Amino acid sequence: MNADAKPAIVVVRRFDASPERVFDAWLDPQIARQWLFSTPDGEMVRAETDARVGGRFTFTERRDGEDIEHVGEYLVVDRPSRLVFTFAVPKYSTEYDRVTVEIRRLDKGCELTLTNEMSPEIYREWGERTRSGWTMLLDGLAALLGDEKRA
Amino acid sequence: MVERTSAHLDAVFHALSDATRRAMLSQLSSGPRSVGELAAPFSMTFAGASKHVKVLESAGLVRREVQGRTHVCRLDAARLSEADAWLRHYERFWTTKLDKLEELLIADADRQKPGKGSAQ
Repeated sequence: MNADAKPAIVVVRRFDASPERVFDAWLDPQIARQWLFSTPDGEMVRAETDARVGGRFTFTERRDGEDIEHVGEYLVVDRPSRLVFTFAVPKYSTEYDRVTVEIRRLDKGCELTLTNEMSPEIYREWGERTRSGWTMLLDGLAALLGDEKRA
Repeated sequence: MVERTSAHLDAVFHALSDATRRAMLSQLSSGPRSVGELAAPFSMTFAGASKHVKVLESAGLVRREVQGRTHVCRLDAARLSEADAWLRHYERFWTTKLDKLEELLIADADRQKPGKGSAQ
């Protein structure tokens, strides 16, 4: 086990769509603007991606008259199986998370595994705002940390 | 407090990165245990178990009291709960996004149905 493993969450989801369609949905600005960093009440005012290794993205959403920018850089772009990017919301934090999207082809559709490794710095800022007792779920937490998945 | 929180979170995740320590926390979630009791399932020495307890203690996850010759350990859930809440916030974020993506893909597939089947 890696001693400085970062806190991470893993979300797995199956889709009926092909791996290519699911992969492209992350990078095609016309599709990504509809779901990726959008919220129900916001208005996406800018969605730009430079979908290559070292390329950057910007998604700006207007929420209550305020522009919230989501930025990051693509680290791995391997269509249709693997996408890795950094991600930050500069308004809230200068720290970057790292998101890995892995897509595995199934007989019908595909399975997507998303891993979000977080910078503990973000926790400091976030934690201060929401310091209240949410329910403790030890098993859930252990599963989320999932070192057995990494091996 | 503010500047300590992040270091605390590192300590919490370090403590949780070990399967033995996670198993110890599980044991403690059903009530206080002595260090000897915590060591038992792992056929571990007192010193070995005590080392793990020390890591849990420094992360603020466990409190140890010395009662005579016995060291009694108790779970301190507050810190764990914070870390958990933080992770869940992210989990919800991505779950919501993927829900939306799924919706879009389904709507798009329906639109294409009269045509020649699935797109590349």
